[in-house]
Amino acid sequence: MSVSGNVFRYPEEIRDDFLQTADIQFRDGSKASPAEVWHYLTEIGPKKYPHIYDYSNYYGRKISGDVTLPFSLKHNYLIMTMDERMTKAKQNGIPVVFVQGGQSVDPYYAAGAIALRPASVGIWASCQHEGLNLNQEEVRRANQKEKAYRAISFEVCQSAGYENIQEGTVPVDMIAPYSCLRCSDVSYGLEAHRHGKRKDVKLFLADYPLDHQKDKEWAITYFAENIRRLIESIDELTGGKTTAEDLRKEIKLHNEGRRLAMEIADLWWSAEVPPTNGKDRRDLFQMGGMELHGDPEASLSLLREAKGYIAERVKKGQKGFGVSDNPVRIFVCGSCVFPNEYRIEEVGGIVVGNDNHWSDITTIVEEDGDPFYNLAKAVLSYPYEQSIKERAKWTVEQIKRSRADGVLFLYNWGCNTQSAVARALVDEIKRESGVPTLIIEHEQQGTQSEQLQNRVNAFVEMLK
Amino acid sequence: MALKTLEIIKKRLEERPKEIEKARREGQKVVGWQGYNIPEEIIYALGLIPVRIGVGGDDRMVEIGARYISTKNCVFVRETVGLFAENNDPYVQNTDILAFDATCLQTYRTAEIIQYYFNKEVLILGVPRNFYWPEAKVYFTKEVEYFTRRLEKQAGKKLNYQILADTIGLYDRIRNAIVTIYTYQAAAGNYLSWEETYDLIHAGYYLDRREYLSLLEQVLAELREKQGQPFIEAVEGEARIFLSGSVLPPGDKKLIKIIQEVGGRIVGDDLWSGLIPYLDVKIPENSLQGLAVGYLNRTPHGALPYLDLDTDRRIKRLKELIQTFKAQGVIYHTLRYCDPYTFKAKETKDILQKEGIPLLEIHTEYAGSDFEAIRTRVEAFVEMLKNRYDEEVAV
Repeated sequence: MSVSGNVFRYPEEIRDDFLQTADIQFRDGSKASPAEVWHYLTEIGPKKYPHIYDYSNYYGRKISGDVTLPFSLKHNYLIMTMDERMTKAKQNGIPVVFVQGGQSVDPYYAAGAIALRPASVGIWASCQHEGLNLNQEEVRRANQKEKAYRAISFEVCQSAGYENIQEGTVPVDMIAPYSCLRCSDVSYGLEAHRHGKRKDVKLFLADYPLDHQKDKEWAITYFAENIRRLIESIDELTGGKTTAEDLRKEIKLHNEGRRLAMEIADLWWSAEVPPTNGKDRRDLFQMGGMELHGDPEASLSLLREAKGYIAERVKKGQKGFGVSDNPVRIFVCGSCVFPNEYRIEEVGGIVVGNDNHWSDITTIVEEDGDPFYNLAKAVLSYPYEQSIKERAKWTVEQIKRSRADGVLFLYNWGCNTQSAVARALVDEIKRESGVPTLIIEHEQQGTQSEQLQNRVNAFVEMLK
Repeated sequence: MALKTLEIIKKRLEERPKEIEKARREGQKVVGWQGYNIPEEIIYALGLIPVRIGVGGDDRMVEIGARYISTKNCVFVRETVGLFAENNDPYVQNTDILAFDATCLQTYRTAEIIQYYFNKEVLILGVPRNFYWPEAKVYFTKEVEYFTRRLEKQAGKKLNYQILADTIGLYDRIRNAIVTIYTYQAAAGNYLSWEETYDLIHAGYYLDRREYLSLLEQVLAELREKQGQPFIEAVEGEARIFLSGSVLPPGDKKLIKIIQEVGGRIVGDDLWSGLIPYLDVKIPENSLQGLAVGYLNRTPHGALPYLDLDTDRRIKRLKELIQTFKAQGVIYHTLRYCDPYTFKAKETKDILQKEGIPLLEIHTEYAGSDFEAIRTRVEAFVEMLKNRYDEEVAV
């Protein structure tokens, strides 16, 4: 890698090897060759999005310096081209649906829509502003957020793209989250759109039943009906008629992504030394949710390619870029937020796993039988949405598999439902695994606060 | 002058913990419940003693609760957990089983925390968020049936449907009495204040429901005698205030006291710890399904999202109640981290503004540190309402 004046550049010496790698396959049948990706990352990207190339460790989303991992470069390409790709999809009549609730996105894609989570909508909105440095981008984002706080409440833990959708910055057609236990803001944030100025955005809530939901036939049936209605609502946008077979086919595709992510996780966790840094690990594992790039086929093509590279590194005992020798392994639990992995690596730690989203990726959907019922049952089985003891039991399994030395429970400021169980969950984890734990409240994303970092650093130091 | 029956109720409330203790010694079980959609009729019909748990206004208890649940949860939730942590409250001490519903996610979390840390038997009643769907009614009916089966186990007997029918009748009469009493408190020349009415509702959380009905009827008889036919009208010099927003449980009198001290008169509310649970309850048949549908068809709790503003029954009811009680302004009370109501504050203000009804949001907790700040704001609001009345009369 090459860094000049804190600005990252992809080094020319990796170019030839990168050009030998696979194309990115898109859902619409098109492809992006490695040459196109390389051109974008080295010529177009730095001019359009200087802030993404800011190489300060204080920027938690900075480009990973692990330049010999092709999936990492391609992931960055997919992030930077979000606006172009979404604009193209919209021009082709594909509706974009805003989703939340930590669920798999199978039904949205089965119905012919694109499902985007808050982070992706934020990236899309961000990519519409060219030429901003990191500071300018942070100010822009903060300004946008203020609009949401004024329209809803300053106590929203994160505004879930309200500002971008209501301002019309991103032409989302529908907002259709799941009302999981994980987050109370999902339901009320969705409801807040009813008083927004955009009246053309369709609103839908997939109602996620609570309390031993996976063991109650009536809860599964009810949730299956929610999925059916969700698909019908998307059909009204596309003018199509999604069949059970369409959903089954989509489930199979997404199961492949979920399985690949789990296989990669097993490889990663089995390695003596971490084969990637924490940021690349997070992106890679999360690709199994098939929602990160707004194109499941694109995510799948990256996963397929990544598996070989990870296996190779594990075999060779090759360490990820920026990872210290014998790092303290941290498992992250809690809300939909992350610590700055680069700062943790600076002090000799590494994040090896997390519960949020991983919970849905590790849940394979039954492929035979009624796909609505199967999907409902799987979604209601997500470990993250279960009782304290059940969730802790699953988390302890992940902690053991990832050989974590400590658990960091992070929750967003204002996150009622994750903060509520933070202590109980870590108490249970500690009791069952003996692993030390730390609970931290997380401020808004972006450049990370020093206060939070000091506490994380002290925790890592203690575990050394 | 206070009504005689209020004195009797006060005395009976003092005696009630000992009575419950005695009943438990004799083998009766107590169900402490919290939520909005739990059909209490089932608990009562099974011969179990229902007690609605949860109080507010005690910052010390909030701190104790925050050791187990988070400081990012509302103070009502934290205080509820604190009650169990300290275990001094006689109703908490005498609770055999807990029942919570999943209307508010924080209430659901409270149940989880109490179960985890204090080893209480907790029954949860699932509540659908798409409550207006026919499928949601089926789901809720199944939940109510499942809830009943678990209660039957605790009671050691099956639900007798004749007793259930009688109980529904009893509760209907309680609801009707409360609605009528509300009319009296809002009327001119009232003998009962809103605060007393509010306390009267909370007395029903603890007293035996048959006795409670009889006491409510006595209150009504006294009111009829003293006040005659109630007639609601705005009177010169009054600042008639409607309370909306987050829960104001027993014990949380901070805002109420401030409003009264600065000369405001509270005339109505749509709080789930106030009038709203007693309105619009129509049980279509004396069955579990009837109860489920009847409860779900009430004015929905703010924690249940509704996506179409124009047909939102909660908003519609709010506007109607403001008119019924001839309120001149709304104080919208939001507890910190009470997302269901806090997120709707600006929206509600915008809606009422179009109707010419001013709204003041008071965002607070149980600590006394903001007392004077709230007083200043409420005082200005009350003064504005009084001036508006004078101006309107002058026009």
